[in-house]
Parts: sequence; structure tokens; C-alpha cells
Amino acid sequence: MRSAKVLVINLGALGTEITKNLVLSGVGSLSLIDSHIVGTQDLESQFFVSKDEVGTKRLDAAASRIQDMNPRVELNFDKDDFRTKPSSYFQQYNLIVATDLHSADIVKLNAISRRFSVPLFVAGLNGLSGYIFVDLIQFDATDEKLKSSMATPLKRLSQNREVIEVIEHFNEEQSKTFERIVTRNIYSPFEKMLKEGSLKGKLTRRQLKRLTNAVPLTLALFDYDDETSSLNAQDLREKATEKCVQLGLPVENLQQKYIEQFAEQAGLEFAPVAAVIGGAVAQDVINILGKKQSPLNNFIVLDAITLDMHIFEL
Amino acid sequence: MSDTSSVNQRLLGSENYQKLRNSGVLLVGAGGIGCELLKNLVLMGFGSIDIVDLDTIDLSNLNRQFLFRHRDIKQPKSTTAIKAIQHVSNSKLTAHTANIMDVETFPLSWFDQFAIIFNALDNLEARRYVNQMAQFLHKPLLESGTAGFDGYIQPIIPGSTECFDCTTKETPKTFPVCTIRSTPSQPIHCIVWAKNFLFAQLFASSGSTIGDGDLGTDNPEEIKRIQQETNELLELQEYVRAGDESKIPEIIKKIFVQDIQKLLAIEELWKTREKPVPLPDIEVDGIVNTDLSSVWTIQEQVNAFVLSTQRLMKRLPEEGQIEFDKDDQDTLEFVTTAANIRAHIFKLPLKSLFDIKQIAGNIIPAIATTNAIISGLSALASLRVLNLIKNQPEAKAQELNMAFTSKASNISSNRYISNPQLAHPNPKCPVCSIARGVLHVSQEALKTTTLSELIQKIQEKYRFEGEVSILDKSTQRLLADYDFEDLLDKTLAELNLKHGIILSISDESVADEVRCTTEFYLDEVKDAQLRLPNIEVPLVKVIPSTEETDDAVGAIESTASGEIILDALEDKNEKKRPLEDEESSSSLPPSKKSATTHDEGVVILD
Repeated sequence: MRSAKVLVINLGALGTEITKNLVLSGVGSLSLIDSHIVGTQDLESQFFVSKDEVGTKRLDAAASRIQDMNPRVELNFDKDDFRTKPSSYFQQYNLIVATDLHSADIVKLNAISRRFSVPLFVAGLNGLSGYIFVDLIQFDATDEKLKSSMATPLKRLSQNREVIEVIEHFNEEQSKTFERIVTRNIYSPFEKMLKEGSLKGKLTRRQLKRLTNAVPLTLALFDYDDETSSLNAQDLREKATEKCVQLGLPVENLQQKYIEQFAEQAGLEFAPVAAVIGGAVAQDVINILGKKQSPLNNFIVLDAITLDMHIFEL
Repeated sequence: MSDTSSVNQRLLGSENYQKLRNSGVLLVGAGGIGCELLKNLVLMGFGSIDIVDLDTIDLSNLNRQFLFRHRDIKQPKSTTAIKAIQHVSNSKLTAHTANIMDVETFPLSWFDQFAIIFNALDNLEARRYVNQMAQFLHKPLLESGTAGFDGYIQPIIPGSTECFDCTTKETPKTFPVCTIRSTPSQPIHCIVWAKNFLFAQLFASSGSTIGDGDLGTDNPEEIKRIQQETNELLELQEYVRAGDESKIPEIIKKIFVQDIQKLLAIEELWKTREKPVPLPDIEVDGIVNTDLSSVWTIQEQVNAFVLSTQRLMKRLPEEGQIEFDKDDQDTLEFVTTAANIRAHIFKLPLKSLFDIKQIAGNIIPAIATTNAIISGLSALASLRVLNLIKNQPEAKAQELNMAFTSKASNISSNRYISNPQLAHPNPKCPVCSIARGVLHVSQEALKTTTLSELIQKIQEKYRFEGEVSILDKSTQRLLADYDFEDLLDKTLAELNLKHGIILSISDESVADEVRCTTEFYLDEVKDAQLRLPNIEVPLVKVIPSTEETDDAVGAIESTASGEIILDALEDKNEKKRPLEDEESSSSLPPSKKSATTHDEGVVILD
């Protein structure tokens, strides 16, 4: 943990939350790359910048407040656009957290992270919704639990998760037998998830029916290459319908009002949504660096109205 | 996209946003959840936010209560939190450094000004109290709590949904900071000190170091004391980090002799307690006891303390920091011996290494990210409760969702959060199934009205047919019932019934149907003589119960299983400063209970 080098891309509402959590946790070295300028909208979702810093670089405004939280964390600030960096730049990190990216940039970054075997978290906000995508490529997680009457078998748990090793050990103090279970997680690249990800056979019919519209809509937004500010509800509906078919969700679940709202709110940052998504990302990053607990695998969507937050293997 | 338009306004819609800007909210607690929640509520743009916290900032808060810095130690949490978030605030922020249960500062009517109340509390007693105030006022309450990776939020809509007391809660096991740092009275206090204070400060990431700026106080003595404490700690850290083993005797002298002498100098502390005895000079002879399940002599403790400190110092340069792990022999031995030497000093029983391994392993740390997630969910849930979400029809109370951590709590592998809809109130709930009202009374009336006159008025107005019993809930004092009539002729003033007291009236008649139990909040006013509220007290069927009717009351006092003395039970006169944390509630929601089984003796703190 203390020796880990983590890169956070973009210091928006999410980047701010994630940075706060990682700095508090005492991560060894944290690098921030962000080329944006403080706008008035930042003041509604961020706490490392202030009113009188509108118009200055976000990193210039935030740097001293971040360092002040924990002087022991080594911080690096880079005001370039991360897209201008050569791919070798990303190789130096043990883990990358990218926020507020368009899908084309996620695909490019994911190709680099895979080439250098760097774990990647991608997260974004869409108004009253937010998502997390995780690509650890391959990750063996070790969990310890009390052995039940039946030993844990070596078996595939799901499409991407498999128990590959179970070691029993007897705890003399408690005179109980524990199992150390190693679960291998395989991850899909972002592009593959977009093109092929499906929920068929993974959720019950009832779960499929009750699933929030935010899931197909979030994935539909990734079909827009660039600016989402001009998107219209009709077009989004068509893309979301395609996503429902691909995922195996009932198309009739799509609600017009929800789609309209989603279209209006794409890319907007809302502080409490950032708190939940940023908290979840940071918790998983800390767990992975500390090799504790099974990591997220691999796509999470929050519906901030119903507080529904499922984990999907896509 | 216009740069001047507010994002929050676009998200919620103009009308709702205006409502939000005109709403005042109350946030109770400025600790782990409170800091995060304050930040969320400020950024959302609530019109005004009042934040209440009695506590001052402790060193151990800094690794997750992100609004606080080292220079803020010993400052009040509420005012410091507000100062730290001011730079992004468009809300009117008001800090109250006081106990939320103080009826003089916060009478019932004070709570009425808020649109919603957020609980970000650490203890059951205050949670119960605020829940009760919300029930009196029919005010929506957002309850929340965390313990380690577990956390929950629960909106409470009085009259429509389950209240905080509809399910029985475990009593949280937290300790006041002062008990840990100054006046341990049980071995567990010494273990918490050794693990969460001493070890954490010397070897682990403490999350912060000294700030060189404003200490936030003008009192020169206070400044001197803070600086001294900080400098001494830094000095010990430096010895440890420098790897200079020759300094170990100095470390022992500082923490087991000089610090104890300083405590002894505060005479107040020892009026009712046995004085500690500083560790006498002990020649370290290097002989260690290898029997891990026996209690070592003090000589063996000191020997092992020196050796484990040496080993940890050797490891430090390479590892940078060392976290306590009960399976890491060096860290366990350090904590065991430090705890036992301290226990010896305070004349408390010593424990074996195996025992301490068990206890120290059960101390659940507060986790910053859990607080962040839970506070985000709490803020989001409030929008739906207040009906501020654009294009959403007003939700019926039972359509609202509560939420609790699911993946992190090992309840589900495919849900990060579980979000069941709110349940109906429990018809047997001792708090929300009863009738409530405010009894307005003047000073004059308190002096002239006798208890029997009050009882008679109540019986007449609410048509209690037979005998009633009357209880002062604030002190758990029975005032009168069918075989206790000694106080009937006393005046209310003589009985010390005053503003803020809650009276509970129960129908004691033997019948199939009796009047529902009724509680009155005594509100002292100037003009009214004695005015009973215009409320309905319905007849209810008598339900044969297996438990005593004052079940809820008993639950506050009864200890949970396990040998650990609880915060709520400690010296009532002592100022309470929960060690860790606002979020350390074990009061998990009902749906979660079945899935979470904590071992007996689990201690939730940092």
C-alpha cells in the first residue's frame, strides 16, 4: 500500500472523491493528471476548489488542499491532457483510475493498460446515476472463511470467476477449521464488454424485469463517440433498445420519462452520487493494493433514485 | 449549455431546486459520517444546515474525518467542520457544540424548524432520542450507521414506516477517548490504547502529521499543551523511524513513567479512582516466556516489549509502515506487552498473548470509504423523502428505499448495495405505536398543579376509564400507579417535572381494550397554564405479551452479551467522547441482521 503508485485521471467530482479517499488511506504515491480549468459547475460538486479560483487550472487550485489532508502521501500533479501522453507514461503506475472519459478514450487507455498489465478502474457520472468499470486483467483474490460441513469445491463460480485453490488450516486457539480460498477473476476488456456483454443466464427473470433502466442507458451512452451534450432522447432510446437486446433485457421495460431524464443528465456531476461511486472505487483500489477481499468484477451501475447498485459480469 | 446555470438546478428541476434552496436541515454528528454528509449537503445547496456535535477533535479522527487537520486537535468538531467547508458553501451554516439531548439548548420546538433530520451518530442513546423527537413532530429522519465495511441508511417517516426502535438493537461497544487515554478501568481499554493509539502512532500510517499553521486557539497554555503532545509523539516516531535501538529505554520511560506522572498531576481524575503507579525501573534481561497462553510476569512483558520493538524497528525502513495484524507475531507481541504493562500500571488484570490476540482481532476499525458511501446514500435518500427529484411522482412512504452494504459485507456477490423498500411500523413498537403530544405548561402551573390533578385531567380528556400509571421517562422514575400513591399530592415542581421531561401514561385497567400508551413532552411556556394537546388516544386491544411493557427502556440499559462494558453504562457524569466513531453503530437494519453475525465481544471502533 505504502509503496503503490496510483494514477488518477481527471479531477472532477469523482476524481475529487477518489483522491480524498486514497490520500486519507495513506496510499504511497498518488499522481493526478488534469488539464481542466475551474468552472462554476465545479463548485457544486467539488471541495478542493473555491469560488475565487474559477478560471484557474483545477490542479493549481486543488494541490495544496489535497496535500494538506495527509502530508505523508507523495503527490504529483500534471496539468497536461492525459491524451497527449505517450503510452509509456502509463507503464510506471501500479494502478490507474480514470474518471469522466469518453468511450473512445476508455478503449485507447484500456489497450495501453492491458499492454503493460496495469489494473484499470474507469468511473463516470450521469446525473442521478453513475458507473464503475474494472479491468484487472487477471486477479487471484484470497478470502478466508470458516469451513462449513462441506469443503468448498474447486469450481467455476460464474463466467469470469473460478475457485482455483482451497487450503484448509486448523486454528488451534479457536479449534475451528478455516479455508483459504483463492478465486481467480478473469476480466473482459472494455471494448469486448460493450460489443458482447450479456446478462443472459446471469440474472433471474424477476431480476431482469426489475433491473433499472440506468444499466442499458449507461451502456448506450458509450455508443456516442464524443460530446454527449447534444444527444436527444429518441436517438438514445434506439441505442438503449439495442443494448437491451444485447444484454437480454426486456425492451418493454424502457421508460420514456427515464430516458428523457437520462438524456438531459448525461455527464452531469452530482456530489452525493460522486460520494457513492468514488467511495466504492477507492474501497476496491485499497482492497486490491492490500490484497484483501474479492475485487469488483466488472461493471457496476448506481441508480441514485432507488439506490439500486448491482454488480454485473459483462 | 450555459455556464451560469446551476448543475443541481438542471438535475432537480427549477422548482425543486428552489425548494431545496429554501430548506433547512439538521445534521446530528460531525464525525466520520457527519463530515462526509456535511460536504454532500453543502454541495447539493440546501438553504441552511445546522450541525450539532458535542465532541472535540482527536488525533485518531484524522485518518477519515477529512475536514479535520492536525492543527484542529482539541477544537470542537462542529465549528471546525463548518470552517473547513466554507470555501464551497452557498448554504447558511450554523454550528452547535452541544449535546443533542440537552433540552435547554434544543427544546422539541427547535427541531421543528427543519425539513428533515440527518442522524450521523455514534451511540444508541442519542439515536433513540432523536428518533423520539422525530416521532413527536412527525418529522422525517434519515438514520445511518457504519461499522467497518458494513453500513446502512434508513429513512424514517413517522407514522408510515418502521422507526429506529421498531426492531431491537444491539448496544454498540464504544469507549470514550478519555477512558482510553487517561483512565482505563478494564483490560480492554489498555488493549485499545496499545493497538489503536500507541502502535498506530509509532508504526502505522496515522494519516497526518503536524501542521505548522493556525492551531485555532488563542490560549497560550492550550497551544503549548497541543504542541508539547505533538512534539513528544513526533520524537518517539523519530526514534522508531531512525531505528536507534538504544532509545528504547527512553520510549519506555516516556509512555510508562512520564505520561503516567502527568496523569497523576491531574488530581481531579483520581478522586474516585485508584491512582496508577508508574512503571518502576526494570533491568531488561532478555529472558522471554514462550508460553503464549499463560500470563507473563511484568519482567517478561518488558523484555518482550523491548524485543518486539526492536524487530518492528528493523522492519520499518523496508516496509515504510506496519499495520497491526493479529497474525503478525511482532505486532501482536508489541500490542500485548504494551497493553499488559499499562494494565499493570493501572492495577488491572493482565492477559495472555492468546487472549489479546482474540480481543485485538475483534476490534473493528472505522473505514473512511464506508462512511463516504453511506453519507452519499443518505444525502440521495433525502431527496426522495423531500420529493425533490425531477419527473418523479411523489413516492409513498413504503416505496422509499433503505440501503445497506451488501458486497462488502459478504451478503451478496452481485449487489454492491441492497435496497429493500421501507417496512410498515411494527405495531408492537414501544416508541412509534403509541400516542404522543406536547403538554404546554407554565412555571406557575408547575408550582400549583398536583400530580393527582394532572392525572385526573389526562384521564378526563383522553377518556382513560380506569387506573393509570405515570412514569417520568427521562429518569425512569415511576411517579404513580395503582399501588404507589405516595407522590400524588406533590406539585409537579416538587417532583422536579420541568421543561423537556417526557411523561408516559399507561392504562392499567383490566379489560380487553385499553387506551393506548401516551407520551407527553413537557414544554414550558409563559402564557399557557396547563394545556393538554388535542390528540386522539385510541383504544387498543390488549396483546398478551411475553415481555415486559417497558422493553424499550430496558434495552437501553441492558448490556449485550460479552464481557465488555458499554459506553452507555459508564459513569453517567463523565463527559462522553466516543472513541470511534459516529459510525460505529452495531444497530444494523433488520434485513441485515440475519446475515451479519458478529462474534461475542466484538468491539467496534478504530
